[in-house]
Amino acid sequence: MTGPNATSTCSPAAKMGRHRSKSTSGSTYCNSSPGAESATLSTPNNAGRSSGEEDEKDGGVLFYVNRTGFPIEGVTWERMWTHVAKVHPDGQDMVSKIRNAAYLPKHPVPSVPNFKPSMSVPAWLLAIQNYMKALQYNHTGTQFFEIRKTRPLCGLMETAREMIRESLPIKCLEAVILGIYLTNGLTSVERFPISFKTQFSGNHFHHVVLGVYCNGRYGTLGMSRRQDLMDKALTFRTLSELVMEFEDSYRRYQHTLKKVKIGLYVPHDPHVFQPIEWKYLVLNAARLGREDMRKELEKHGRDMRMKILKSSSAQSPIKERTRGKSLSPHRRQSSPQRRHIHRRDKS
Amino acid sequence: MEPTCRKDKVKLNSTPTRGDRAKQKSAQQELKQRQRAEIYALNKVMTELEQQQFEAFCKQMQSQGE
Repeated sequence: MTGPNATSTCSPAAKMGRHRSKSTSGSTYCNSSPGAESATLSTPNNAGRSSGEEDEKDGGVLFYVNRTGFPIEGVTWERMWTHVAKVHPDGQDMVSKIRNAAYLPKHPVPSVPNFKPSMSVPAWLLAIQNYMKALQYNHTGTQFFEIRKTRPLCGLMETAREMIRESLPIKCLEAVILGIYLTNGLTSVERFPISFKTQFSGNHFHHVVLGVYCNGRYGTLGMSRRQDLMDKALTFRTLSELVMEFEDSYRRYQHTLKKVKIGLYVPHDPHVFQPIEWKYLVLNAARLGREDMRKELEKHGRDMRMKILKSSSAQSPIKERTRGKSLSPHRRQSSPQRRHIHRRDKS
Repeated sequence: MEPTCRKDKVKLNSTPTRGDRAKQKSAQQELKQRQRAEIYALNKVMTELEQQQFEAFCKQMQSQGE
């Protein structure tokens, strides 16, 4: 979500319409929702989407993605400045002040957290979250690291290493990838993506955090403009409690939760070629009541804990996929491997 | 007999030397550092702006509620 922030230039964005670029060039202009994390909006059209996300209607401001590495090449660099000059009230003056400054303070490079066996899991997660906070949330309107959600995990882990190397501000999707990388190897902690689609003032916004599960408790890691839409301590006894906590947080900012998508546990092996399963369970919060959502989430949580769920990319051909302990009638109606819950099936 | 004169081929200096590569790498590092400094300076400004707008929005919603 985006709040009333400088990237909310709704007029030019509205005129340009909404589209998702599929170009791989460095100058790609992407329709994205960076601000699915921020709760309020100065204008209705303030969101964006990273490349690779599903093509859904959003009411957002478009933001750019750097696709050509570092140092950032000329076109992308100039585009960043052109964009902020348009959105900031001081415009070009603000830009010139920074770009022409003879001296700029060097933002310290935060130390990468170093796991010690004596550390408790909560302490380690806190160290990771503090590291991400030290990188800062990216408000520039240009995403510095390209995240393609369909990429193999090993490729995304390479991007996580790049994030650490370059040490620049990040947004929610990048934070999920970084969180996965920094929790790899801590086998007592399971990680899975949790995506939110919310609505505010007739526009849709997208956000994602990294769910974590350890020793019977759920929590999250993540980055957002709003403090209560990112990290949550490992204190939630059920997945539904965790999701409801986010729903309550969103409500404080007058966002209505429309959809929740829960992925599968991400393997700890950073060299795995399969992609992350982002949306194994899709819940239409608008149609499901709170109680139905709770039941579906708790079932999914149980299934995940029992490790009986398989990602669609890890499964064999469709015929075999239709057989399975966890398969429900709902799944057959939509796709064999994913559950899209729109209403309770009483059959 | 006149000695055969070889045409001296003009040696194309297209292959960067080790020194050139080191200089290029150093220049790239400096550029990255400068870009990083500018990015964080910009992010500070834009974060402050977002916070101001958020606070203004909250006040507006509060007054509307009243």
